[in-house]
Amino acid sequence: MGEVSLLLIIPLVTAVLCWKINVRVGEKLQVITTLFNVVVGLFIAKTVFFHAPITGWHRLIYIDALSAFNILLIVLIGFVASLYSVGYMNHEVAEKIIGDNKVRHYYLWFHLFLGTMLAVSVVNNLGFLWVGIELTTLVSALLVAFYRKGTSLEAAWKYLIMGSVGIAFALLGIIFLYLSGGDLFGESTDALNWTVLHQAAKHLNPQWTLIAFIFVLVGFGTKAGLAPMHFWLPDAHSQAPSPVSAVLSGVLLNTALYGIFRIYTITNTTLDGKAAPYLIVFGLFSIAITVPFMLVQHDLKRMLAYSSVEHMGIITLGVGIGGALGLYGAVLHMFHHSMAKSLLFFTAGNITQNYHSKRMERISGVLKTMPITGSIFLIAAFAITGTPPFNVFVSEFTIMRAGFQSGHFVATVSFLLFVVLIFSGMMYYVVRMAFGEAPTKVEKKEMNRWSTAALFIPLIAVIVFGLYVPPFFQEVIQQVTVVLQGGKL
Amino acid sequence: MEQWIALLLLISAIWLLQIRKISDSVPILAFQSLVLALTAGAMWYQTKLSHLLVAALLTLVVKAMIIPAILHYTIKKIDVHRQVERVTSKYAALLIATILSVAGFYVTSRLHLPSTKFGEPYLPVSITFVFLGAFIMIDHKKALMQGIGLITIENGLFLVAQSISYGMPMMVELGIFFDMLVTVVIIGILSFRIHSTFESLNIEKMSNLKG
Repeated sequence: MGEVSLLLIIPLVTAVLCWKINVRVGEKLQVITTLFNVVVGLFIAKTVFFHAPITGWHRLIYIDALSAFNILLIVLIGFVASLYSVGYMNHEVAEKIIGDNKVRHYYLWFHLFLGTMLAVSVVNNLGFLWVGIELTTLVSALLVAFYRKGTSLEAAWKYLIMGSVGIAFALLGIIFLYLSGGDLFGESTDALNWTVLHQAAKHLNPQWTLIAFIFVLVGFGTKAGLAPMHFWLPDAHSQAPSPVSAVLSGVLLNTALYGIFRIYTITNTTLDGKAAPYLIVFGLFSIAITVPFMLVQHDLKRMLAYSSVEHMGIITLGVGIGGALGLYGAVLHMFHHSMAKSLLFFTAGNITQNYHSKRMERISGVLKTMPITGSIFLIAAFAITGTPPFNVFVSEFTIMRAGFQSGHFVATVSFLLFVVLIFSGMMYYVVRMAFGEAPTKVEKKEMNRWSTAALFIPLIAVIVFGLYVPPFFQEVIQQVTVVLQGGKL
Repeated sequence: MEQWIALLLLISAIWLLQIRKISDSVPILAFQSLVLALTAGAMWYQTKLSHLLVAALLTLVVKAMIIPAILHYTIKKIDVHRQVERVTSKYAALLIATILSVAGFYVTSRLHLPSTKFGEPYLPVSITFVFLGAFIMIDHKKALMQGIGLITIENGLFLVAQSISYGMPMMVELGIFFDMLVTVVIIGILSFRIHSTFESLNIEKMSNLKG
């Protein structure tokens, strides 16, 4: 249990330290502590994947393969984002956009944000899961509002209100779930532990679990950016500082999906597979809704945000299609999307800082002005649209195969069609930004070494996993798949 | 007895739609939470379940005292003692609120929600609260009032949980209270920043992000 405490305490301590001590010391310290948390996360993952799930603290903590997988993503992207933040924030200070004081606040909220997401992944109790997800909204709303401009405040307000109302529905869902097991467990706190509900899934009241599942899907779905509850997402993700956008898209959305899938595994068992069509419908709708918005974008980060709506849809679709293959594809896609999307947001951050604009028509010739960032941006953009030989292609292909195998022809064919349309829409803009002549006033330079170094970690994943998925990683994903199928505890 | 308490709750929610100044909402909200504490207290008296007493006391301290204090402080700091701005007229709002209340009672009667012996009278009101809270958020144009609508929704959910299962487990309840508190603080911070940036709390000024 010591390692779980460490995992949760490190972000808290880092947050307070960065807030209190000198900025220059704090920014380096937080890189070290987040790296240390990666080690702790790996250690936990090793225990879970090779031995058994971790339980503790009067069964309030429960970490199985699915939680461990989410923890790994959070610590990894958290580390890369904190590395990237150093360069990003230094640049903002040098440009006199913000003062040192605000940088300290930034690190305070940033690490608290990472801490809340980790807390969500380790708790066993669905009530605490809800509390944790609500806390992630509250903490990250302040990060979205970081620049205090009109647009960022607008985005943060919309995010806070939509997120809180959505999540209120999820609470109603969890109350109903509590109710559906009410006759079995009485008033005990354990009645909301998902291990308990999971074991009793076959005996829950099906009528209540169905209502509970729909409320939870709509509620946490709002947080995960599933259409039609996604309206806050493009605003918040485009207005936040770029490292925060990367974390929002890369892992916060996954954490919200994690909440849905936890409850899905219970309810789908109770309902004998009747919960899956809801996921397919919401998933497909999210992919479809991205198409028109992708074609009319002017803002680079907004375009990337819409692409996140699409990918959350793809993951949801994959889980909805289900079966060993569909779930495998979905989990793999979670990992691949996190890597490729955070990479895209990091490169977009570098580009917008150098070009002083997020408007795509003002950005051109990135490959010439910023050779490293530009080429990585191009690779990441190809990856995210599912172009071989990059990682996202592998998982999208797997989901497609699962779709055809399980007989979801209409869903799979429309999925393919939408993906092709999104590919062409996105590539139209990306190619125009990457090639061509740069505007004369844009300097030919890379951003500082911190923000360039951070790019290489997700880049390795994007390229390597496109070529082959290492056997140990396949094993890891298999184990997560077993959890999602409602298998062993 | 329970019917009268439920009626008081309903009045408090409709009243929030009829205020003239934003600052008027704070005492109404405090009153609403006070009655809410009363419901939990009454249920504790009838059932002797100790966590209901804790919930009642927490509601009294957090929702009826601390949260109104934070809102009062925010409003004072922003200095918006001005008129509320609505989408509908005052009378239309009253009409819609009445329709929503009837709808709430109708929906509850049709849903066949299971309920506890002493919580049953509150069940229709709790569902109506969720409707009315949402309507407050839609009808009022001032950012802070959306926060107040949100609190009304959360109060409704609190009451739902109480009426159908005498509340959530205590630890979870504590977590939810903590969340509420943080939510209100952040609503306060953001409202303050919105006001200093836009020199207005009107959310219609915040419509630059599209597409």
